[in-house]
Amino acid sequence: MLGPQLAEFIESPVMILFATRDEAGRPMIGRGSGVRFDRQSGYLHFLASHCQWPKAVGEALAGRPIATTFVRAADYKAFQIKGRVLEAEPADAAGLALGQAYVAEQLAQMLALGVTRMQLSSTLSDRELVCLTIEPQAIFEQTPGPGAGRRLTPEAAA
Amino acid sequence: MIPLDRLRDSFEGVIPSVIATTDADGMPNISYLSHVHFVDETHVALSNQFFSKTATNVARNGLATVMVVDGYSGQQHVLDLVFERSETEGETFERVAIYLAILESRMSGIMKLRAVDIYRVEDCQAVPAANPLVEPEPLFLPDLMGKVARLTARMSNCSDPETLLDVTLEGLGVLFGYRHSMVLVPDGERDGLTTIASCGYDQFGFGAEVPLGRGIIGAAAERRRNLRITDLSRGQRYIQAVRTMAGIEDAIPIPLPALDKPLSQIALPLVARGRLVGVLFSESAERFTFRHRDEEALTVVAAHLATALSFLSEERERAETGWREKAEASADMAVELPTGRRIAVRFYPRDGSLFVDDDYLIRGVPGRLLLHFLEDYARTGKRDFLNREIRRDRRLQLPDFKDNLETRLILLRRRLEEKAGPIMLEHADRGRLRLTLAGRPEIELVED
Repeated sequence: MLGPQLAEFIESPVMILFATRDEAGRPMIGRGSGVRFDRQSGYLHFLASHCQWPKAVGEALAGRPIATTFVRAADYKAFQIKGRVLEAEPADAAGLALGQAYVAEQLAQMLALGVTRMQLSSTLSDRELVCLTIEPQAIFEQTPGPGAGRRLTPEAAA
Repeated sequence: MIPLDRLRDSFEGVIPSVIATTDADGMPNISYLSHVHFVDETHVALSNQFFSKTATNVARNGLATVMVVDGYSGQQHVLDLVFERSETEGETFERVAIYLAILESRMSGIMKLRAVDIYRVEDCQAVPAANPLVEPEPLFLPDLMGKVARLTARMSNCSDPETLLDVTLEGLGVLFGYRHSMVLVPDGERDGLTTIASCGYDQFGFGAEVPLGRGIIGAAAERRRNLRITDLSRGQRYIQAVRTMAGIEDAIPIPLPALDKPLSQIALPLVARGRLVGVLFSESAERFTFRHRDEEALTVVAAHLATALSFLSEERERAETGWREKAEASADMAVELPTGRRIAVRFYPRDGSLFVDDDYLIRGVPGRLLLHFLEDYARTGKRDFLNREIRRDRRLQLPDFKDNLETRLILLRRRLEEKAGPIMLEHADRGRLRLTLAGRPEIELVED
């Protein structure tokens, strides 16, 4: 479902958000700590810190819907990918390495934009990482402006 | 639940907020949000105009969750919201609208506010800083009331409007550390504002104009509301993203006053007896120079300045009555016109603009005032002028309000001083102005 350009975009050092919801429909917000797109299966391997986002990660149960948003801080270019959680497991060694690399890259990128280390202390976490396997189902343009929320066809997303 | 007033720096729109909702199928939606506005202890307002999916979801179940980020410390809080109502007018709407009005300068109305949505906050929880990179720096917030007391006491001791303006701006720098400030007054003719006093800039910029409604200064004047921006860099990046998406090619940045790269700005309308008498503006190259409490302190200073400026301008006219005969006597003793070099004065009646030796000097009322002085001087040699006689002269087309004349004279005198040209206007004594010329004026009226 994801084309190569979008896959490259979400794997670049972009800011990552995700939302799950509880049984009552109350949304839960979290930040992602890195993502890898599996070109074979078409699934996302999405990392999030359980200790920082206990509610949002706690509701990321197998079979539950999930929304993920990827934003380039320099110009707010953004996409939202919605789908279904297939699996939620503690991150393996490769996942932990990806999360650590993501935090380091984000730090460099945001510092260059003038965000302070103190501000970033609250934002970035590579601790207690959980890897969510997500099956993408729909992709949306999310850059702020009149086009935000527009659903992209698989061709456009490519 | 954490009280919302402990999170005031998270409602400044410095670091983007996040909003999540859920649709009828239970699918969440998550996106950035331009701003979460503080309303009161248990309510916030959202102004987002673009995210139709969010609006649809909220209309269905009334639930939204937002995350706000403290623009200074980066601390994050998650707020559970329940929609209460939309507002298209009133205090909150106005406050949010004026903030957007700044951002939408040259935005062709894309960011125009249609409504604000008011939400009740059911819960507010801190997000743990899971990976502290540095120890949080303690935030030192000095007492501002004592400084306000000291500055307003100094202002109260001023006996004329010009000293008042300088003492105020100097005091803002020395006492508060607000080192780049200016006061602008309504021009009375073109619906704009003109700089009459400034402090902390390379150039004084007396006579520099800002159209009503344009930028932070023009918007504060037009809406008569305080306007404060704690981090301009974020707002501009966000605006650029919206502009690009909207296909607006003309990439002119939001017009900014004097500092090259300001990050914080505040503009406060000066209102006396219900009438706008000016705008107090201050800016800084640092983020978060003007917090909520700075705005409160400056609001007191601005109120005091507006009242004192209005009062002293009138007081000055009353005080000078005693000098009238003396001034007129002086005028009767017409001195010989100096010889020396020719001073070319060109005047355009249409907008009152006046050029000296081909250099633009000023326009509007101050331009007409100077023409009047020069014509009298050329005709009779008169060099001393009193406010009262100026006001009575219908040729000048003066605005109705008394304080306008005083501020125009201050503006004209300062502009002449800054230009350091062949024409100067000095305070001869209290309430009396004296014209000094380094040559012989030749006046040309240009009708167009």
